[in-house]
Amino acid sequence: MTRDNSGISKTASALSFIADRFPLEKMNLEHMLAHKEVPVHKMSWGYYTGGMTMFFFMIQVITGLFLLFYYQPTVSDANLSVEYITKYVSVGGLIRNMHAWSASGMIFFAVVHLITAFAMKSFEKPRELTWIMGVLLLIITFTFGFTGYLLPWNQIAVNATKVGLQSVEDIGQYLPGMLHDVPRILRETFQGEASVGQSTLGRFYALHVVLLPLALAGLLGIHLLQVQVHGMSQGVDEKPKKQERFFPVFLFKDLTLWGVLFFILFTFSLCIPFESFLPFPLLAPYDAMGATPPGIKPEWYFFFVYYPLELLPFWVILLASGLIGAVLIFTPWIFKGSSRKTLGFIATAVSLYLLIMTLFGEQIYHLLKH
Amino acid sequence: MNISFSRTSKTLIAVTPVLIWLFAMPQTQAYPQFQEFSEKNSGRNVNCAMCHVNGDGPTGDGKGQIGGLTKEELDSLMKARSALAPGTLVDSPILNKFGNEIIKDIGKRKFLELRQNPKDLAKALPAQSDLDQDGISDGQEYLDGTDPLNPEHGDPLKLLMANLNKYRLHVILTFIAVMTLNWGIMQFLKGLEILTKPRQIPKA
Repeated sequence: MTRDNSGISKTASALSFIADRFPLEKMNLEHMLAHKEVPVHKMSWGYYTGGMTMFFFMIQVITGLFLLFYYQPTVSDANLSVEYITKYVSVGGLIRNMHAWSASGMIFFAVVHLITAFAMKSFEKPRELTWIMGVLLLIITFTFGFTGYLLPWNQIAVNATKVGLQSVEDIGQYLPGMLHDVPRILRETFQGEASVGQSTLGRFYALHVVLLPLALAGLLGIHLLQVQVHGMSQGVDEKPKKQERFFPVFLFKDLTLWGVLFFILFTFSLCIPFESFLPFPLLAPYDAMGATPPGIKPEWYFFFVYYPLELLPFWVILLASGLIGAVLIFTPWIFKGSSRKTLGFIATAVSLYLLIMTLFGEQIYHLLKH
Repeated sequence: MNISFSRTSKTLIAVTPVLIWLFAMPQTQAYPQFQEFSEKNSGRNVNCAMCHVNGDGPTGDGKGQIGGLTKEELDSLMKARSALAPGTLVDSPILNKFGNEIIKDIGKRKFLELRQNPKDLAKALPAQSDLDQDGISDGQEYLDGTDPLNPEHGDPLKLLMANLNKYRLHVILTFIAVMTLNWGIMQFLKGLEILTKPRQIPKA
């Protein structure tokens, strides 16, 4: 009887948890548009970071669709088709650069959005699920970057993917029991053959253009629904004195910012080819018989983990990554009682670390290694 | 036991060590001084593909390497190698467009002299020469360690300045289009707001 009661109470509390996070009475256009208000305070800029991430995602989808018309996901034609897009397709180079620049923009703003949401304590009840969805979206965004990196099938793409997949398999040696084989199975599943080849390209392509976009769209839908239903979080300790209407005031400001971003993206894509940051030998078509050229490294947004990985033992990075992953997922409960001042301090420290590792990681690596 | 060798066998025995030495030699890069300077000066990785057809250099039997050349290509190679003075059009099958242009512009003799001071190669090339037409001269691309034959490759900041100048009309028109669209959206949102506002019933 007690067990029954306890079972019923657990079910009831689970249902109540879900009902609080998805209040049906608030799921209407009137509530989400007409009555929604956005607090105005010194951290208000943080409310725009999510919109900016979404803007870059939309650019990714549109430019990605254009690239799909010409890209050939085969080891013999992938590099040639990318070259064809860049050299011969009308505005193909611009579209490709917009895709590459906006990928970086999306990852940059997704990280900024996560850090500001953390500092503003936007994960408080009833927004726990919004936070968790956001963390999952960030992971998917990074996976987009990893899978997309292989598609041009050049020296840096294939060699960096080999290193990345090998790192996945290396995790296995630190896992106990049945978990020991999971990373190897994962690596084999994504690689599809003995070395990175046609099967890998096909699988990464499927992940990049079908599975990940579907997963992202689904999670983004829930994330946005939650944001609209619960409104913007207060963001600061004292109750904001001023509020502005979401529709049309905030929406207009958001769209203006999107316009500015589009202009910057267009100018950058037109004037600075994204590949100009890489040494040209790494852009040559991948040669399976050739030696691995020097200078292979991942995209800039992986530097925060890549350079520590080069400097410290693998298990240290693995342990740290596991802990950080767990802390990110359980943030709403771990930092439930923390003040915004404490959260702001942690967010600043994390931002500084990311900034220093991304900008000066290579110099730090050379300084410590030699 | 008396072992005797024929004349042919004796010749083969004598030649074999020389052949082994020749084939066992490590793959040489044509003139590595230039590659080394470009890498050191730019901090970027550079390989033989800057001037050669093959990224691994001219030695070997792959595409654009001496061992894989046909008779006609070997003739072109010899002709290019004899272009000691500047001004001769050369079409060496082991060099790419930039490599051939260097020989045409400064001649093989001057090029060989510059091995002692590879930095001066940039000065020796004509300042207006820009094979990929990306707005950065070939000499500057050599100093920057970027691809002089790829308009998509160059020092990012220099490309930005060159392309901003080249595409200024596009940039200005895009700015106007974005502003106009933004103004249109603002009017549209204002209109929507007016339409969706609850209407007040005038008092009688």
